[in-house]
Amino acid sequence: MAIHEKSLIEPERLLHHDELVVDGVDVSGHWNTMITPRTLTDYDDDFEAKIQAIPGGENVHRCWQCGSCTNSCTMYAQNVQFNPRYWIYAVRLGLKEEIIKDKDIVWQCVSCNKCTNICPKDVRPEGVMKALAHWMEEEGITEKTPSTIFDEEFTEQIYARGRIEDSHVLMGFYKKTGQSMFQNWLQVFGLRLARHLPVSLGLKFGRNVLMKPRTKSWGRTGEVLQQYVREQKEAAHG
Amino acid sequence: MQDTVLIVGSGPSGLSAAAQVAGAGYKVVMVEKEEVLGGAPILSGYAKLVPSGEWAKDAIGRMVKRVEDDKAVTIHKGTRVTKLDGEPGNFTAKLSNNKQVKAGAVVLATGFTHFDSVNKPEWGFGTFPDVLTSTQMEQMVASGKIACPSDGRVPERVAILLCVGSRDRQIGREWCSKICCTVSANLAIEIKEMSPETDVFIYYMDIRTFGLYEDRFYWKSQEEFKTKFVKARIAEVTASGDGRLLVKGEDTLVKRPIVIPFDMVVHAIGMDPNQDNPEISKVFGVELEKHGFLQKGEQYTNTCGTSRPGVYSCGAAYGPETIDDSIAQGAAAGGRAVMDLTALVRKAG
Ligand SMILES: Cc1cc2nc3c(=O)[nH]c(=O)nc-3n(C[C@H](O)[C@H](O)[C@H](O)COP(=O)(O)OP(=O)(O)OC[C@H]3O[C@@H](n4cnc5c(N)ncnc54)[C@H](O)[C@@H]3O)c2cc1C
Ligand code: SF4
Ligand code: SF4
Ligand code: SF4
Repeated sequence: MAIHEKSLIEPERLLHHDELVVDGVDVSGHWNTMITPRTLTDYDDDFEAKIQAIPGGENVHRCWQCGSCTNSCTMYAQNVQFNPRYWIYAVRLGLKEEIIKDKDIVWQCVSCNKCTNICPKDVRPEGVMKALAHWMEEEGITEKTPSTIFDEEFTEQIYARGRIEDSHVLMGFYKKTGQSMFQNWLQVFGLRLARHLPVSLGLKFGRNVLMKPRTKSWGRTGEVLQQYVREQKEAAHG
Repeated sequence: MQDTVLIVGSGPSGLSAAAQVAGAGYKVVMVEKEEVLGGAPILSGYAKLVPSGEWAKDAIGRMVKRVEDDKAVTIHKGTRVTKLDGEPGNFTAKLSNNKQVKAGAVVLATGFTHFDSVNKPEWGFGTFPDVLTSTQMEQMVASGKIACPSDGRVPERVAILLCVGSRDRQIGREWCSKICCTVSANLAIEIKEMSPETDVFIYYMDIRTFGLYEDRFYWKSQEEFKTKFVKARIAEVTASGDGRLLVKGEDTLVKRPIVIPFDMVVHAIGMDPNQDNPEISKVFGVELEKHGFLQKGEQYTNTCGTSRPGVYSCGAAYGPETIDDSIAQGAAAGGRAVMDLTALVRKAG
């Protein structure tokens, strides 16, 4: 069906060909704009279990769609597109595309837990929001958050050496998040440190930065730890 | 004759009325049109009952045995009442087996008739073998194996459609059948217990698991057995071409049309007025209410009354009813009949 009120249709459902000839008739340009149907043609039966396996999502199956969470939600008051009740429904039936459409707002939950307090079925919607944000990050649907990148940098150093070197964590973090190393606060911090730190400590500090020492007898601990974390993740996510 | 109560129908309500009357020291004549006693739960082979969880044949079987073993009860099976004359304390009933019964009071425990799904052809019953009614599904559960009738495969997905033959002005059925929400939640639990790989979806307009059935059936089936409740009234059931069924409708929460593949579809059929009611109304001289069930007498002081003095009723004859309430009402009707007989004896003495 050709349509005229395009503003009413989600952009991704608008099909448009610059050049198109149908049965010898030139319908190039806006004449051939079509909309894909909105019919839901299947459920993803495994999706609910996937979200339940992520901490916070455990109770999602209890929801009976009363809307109390959305009604009480801090973020909903700011933006009516932020609708925990709706995303929970989509999780239950495995309507993944519906959730992905809102990938840029789901993570905005501020964890005020008003929803958790009001939910009559003890679904803990706040946890579901966290689990969803987590799932989207893991699947690469959303970019990793800065805090996840920081955690990863931190953890990698622990695996390798059993300890962290603050300056390396910072350098790695700024590099991966594409930020400049010349942060204002860092320069002030460095200058003050240089001015007030006793010489002996300053030398030790400098040596650590250069030598990257490991924790004594760290041995294969890092490998074992890494293996354990991997196993735990696999167990949780199936 | 003033020591006898005529009870028509031997479902849960009639059996309860009979036990009440006999227990009070009076005689019972029971008239049942079928060849077995027990009413709908036995005649239609229900599986486990709500809310007790007992198998119908055991639970209702005990009620049947209690009455059959009672010497004060005379039973006429495969029989109907063709004529009722007289007045309270002095009725004469003619039976289809040409016998005659004299009784002081009459209890109509004639129950209901299952809705016939053929009257809703758009939902595929009678067209597709994998579309069943809840009574057929109860029988499948009782048989111990969940399988698609078409080819015997284990269904991946079962859809239960609520309110089939209830709450539907289009087909002149404006009542809620009261028990089918709870029975359906229970069926979903039973299906999942027997066939863990099957996912059950219930399509609803409202969920009416009233009173204590809320957490014991609705919440339990959702929380422990992962039944999915979808708010949609289904428009049509069709075939998908690959041997499955397509369930079409609108998901009212997503505001979208849905066309979802299923392996089996179950109609949660409602409770119609007993199809014999026009005849019962004539034979017993009692009025029917606007939906076609028996008209209740004055509610507050005329316990279990009908429009005719001395003729009482109980259970699903009055309207959609649960077994537990049918039993309570049966006992009340039996008690009411006995009370009348006692009063007559006192008056005479
Ligand atoms: C699919 C389904 C599942 C259900 N499961 C449950 C459940 O788990 N728990 C629950 O509480 N309720 C359940 N119910 C409801 C239950 O069936 C009724 O509450 C119960 O059967 C009512 O008992 P009754 O004695 O009033 O009527 P009925 O059970 O209908 O008994 C009426 C009796 O009267 C006889 N009769 C009828 N007309 C005549 C006549 N003219 N002359 C002589 N005899 C006659 C009939 O043959 C029958 O034996 C279910 C209903 C359905 C449809
Ligand atoms: S408040 Fe709880 S039950 Fe109600 S819609 Fe939100 S999560 Fe679901
Ligand atoms: S915790 Fe998140 S989802 Fe819940 S009310 Fe607050 S902002 Fe909304
Ligand atoms: S009990 Fe439930 S399924 Fe039955 S008619 Fe009422 S609302 Fe519909």
